[in-house]
Amino acid sequence: MIVTTAGTMFELVQALNDGAEQLRKRTANSISLDAGCELFIAFVTLFPHESDSFAGLKTELIKQGRKYAAEALSYREKIAQLALGFIKDDSILTHSYSRVVMKALLHAHKTKRISVYVTEARPRGLGLKTHAVLTAAGIPCTVVLDSAVAYVMDQVDFVLVGSEAVVESGGLINAVGSNQMAIIAKAAHKPFYALAESYKFHRLFPLSQYDLPTHTANILSFPSLPVQGTASSAEVAPTEAHNTSQAEKAIDFPVQRTMTPEQIAQNPDVDYTRPDLISLVFSDVGILTPEGVSQYLVGMFAG
Amino acid sequence: MAPEASTSTSHRSVEVLVSKLRRRQVVGSREAALETVKVLRQVVSRAKFSNIDQLVGLIRSIGKRLVDAQPKEHTVGNTVRKILHHIREEYNTATKGTATVGSSSRAVFSIANFVLQGQPRKHTVAQRSEVTTSIRENDPDDPDSFAKTLKPVLMEAIQDVLDELETVYDNVSKNAKDHIHSDEIILTIGHSKTVEAFLKSAAHYHSYTVIVAETSPSYSGHEMARNLSSAGISTFLVPDSSIYAIMSRVNKVILGAHAILANGGMFAITGSLLASSAARVHSVPIVVCAGQFKITPLWNLYHEFGALDFADPSSVLGFEEGVLVEREVEVLNPYYDYVSPEMVDVFITNDGDHPPSSIYRLIKETYDDEDHEL
Repeated sequence: MIVTTAGTMFELVQALNDGAEQLRKRTANSISLDAGCELFIAFVTLFPHESDSFAGLKTELIKQGRKYAAEALSYREKIAQLALGFIKDDSILTHSYSRVVMKALLHAHKTKRISVYVTEARPRGLGLKTHAVLTAAGIPCTVVLDSAVAYVMDQVDFVLVGSEAVVESGGLINAVGSNQMAIIAKAAHKPFYALAESYKFHRLFPLSQYDLPTHTANILSFPSLPVQGTASSAEVAPTEAHNTSQAEKAIDFPVQRTMTPEQIAQNPDVDYTRPDLISLVFSDVGILTPEGVSQYLVGMFAG
Repeated sequence: MAPEASTSTSHRSVEVLVSKLRRRQVVGSREAALETVKVLRQVVSRAKFSNIDQLVGLIRSIGKRLVDAQPKEHTVGNTVRKILHHIREEYNTATKGTATVGSSSRAVFSIANFVLQGQPRKHTVAQRSEVTTSIRENDPDDPDSFAKTLKPVLMEAIQDVLDELETVYDNVSKNAKDHIHSDEIILTIGHSKTVEAFLKSAAHYHSYTVIVAETSPSYSGHEMARNLSSAGISTFLVPDSSIYAIMSRVNKVILGAHAILANGGMFAITGSLLASSAARVHSVPIVVCAGQFKITPLWNLYHEFGALDFADPSSVLGFEEGVLVEREVEVLNPYYDYVSPEMVDVFITNDGDHPPSSIYRLIKETYDDEDHEL
């Protein structure tokens, strides 16, 4: 922004869009980045400038940007304070690692007796990071297998997750596993709360999981089979007596029972949770129902 | 920080209301709201203030005292918030043309505000008084000039609030004939004056039947049935236990509310949750009639154990049964139920009909964000 030599608003917006594109290319998961960039670009176009020269306008915009960045750091505290009203001496289930959830839990720990279940959140395993931080703060915390979420749901009072982005439908984009957790919470009639700073409000409107920009053709694809004429490994039951010697060729069972990096790459990083599964979204602009989020987004981007 | 801006008399009226609220001598949400408006009207008319912050601070401190006196009576807080909203609005309209002298009302245009501006636009009040003289705040020569110029407008705004409260029943029942049709069977519980007015208004146009559940242990359903039948409506009085049994024959359930929360849920008389659950099972529409002064910008009141406002347990289990209580029997008599937003289909208010998911919009339009916590 500072270095651009743009002399008109149009050039400036072009330059900003190019910059945003570059940033997007650098990170694998660019959704929250997208949201922030769009917010800034929208702000730039809708800002009623009183400055006489374009250079003056640019300086003003830079100043606003820096001020916002500084203020944005205080949003997590605001959200933690809002969430505190909903936390009693509860067991809370959370997913993976989220800085805003950490802040909310540590803030609640000062005045309430909470205990936390956190999912491992494979493949990145960030749930273990959450466990370490909470245990160090003295909060009773247990790591739960991703597959044990339904098992533990009856013990839990409510579910609290962070977010990558909150989308226009009122749904949530977060680390993969959140959608699962929301569905199970709904089935068990437990509240599902999402914490999101306002710069994470995004104008996406995904109609399904596969509408997300992070979904590539590689994800959930079936690998091409090795050309050896054996049946697909899943079906071969070596105890079947009438197999020919060809089919009895040994199956390559993996020695280490974990997914290979190639297999992990075929899995998604984030998933989309529908708004009807979410009870409330806590944001620095206030507590919102999922319906309320779309109102904000329209107001923000439609001027 | 509130300066000595109120005379001893207006202080007195506040004290009287505080003690009345604490002793629950003010009965009914509408009465509480009316009393609050009258007290605040007195306070504002006698207040001496030289800038808007002093007035707002004064009203907030009084509001806090009133709310603390009776936290279960949410309409008190709502009325205070509504009056504060009107005051700020009138002030903004009045000072729009004049240069601001260090006033904090000018919205600083920053990215943070840009995000916040995503709120639904507030209705702009038609400018009633032509502001020919500019309003000077903090004028050292004439400290009363600010107050003098602003007071008439504020009194008008407060009068508006009072008028709205007084015409609640008429406005809610305005469209009653469109909601109830001939030969329908309506179920209601308890004695809500709003619902009573609604049903009586519809009875002018259609003939239908009302089934009233007696709503133990207060048995307020008896009063309701009496009033409705004396208005010529065919009424049945049934015990609470038969609500589920007769629900398949009911066309609509019409309930009253004590307070409507920001998430669209509500506090209503005990038995409302029972009626709503039964209605859900039979796919019967659930309609709630309430004035807008009952809409509270608070979210999670239902988490508090005492939120249901427990009443005298002797009406459930008389004191003569003391032997049972000795044997570790705990007797509870909650006065209210919390009904979640999924249970309610529509709120019929004096300002239109709204589904529970739009309640937060009404809150944004009626109250200011900074007043949510008094």
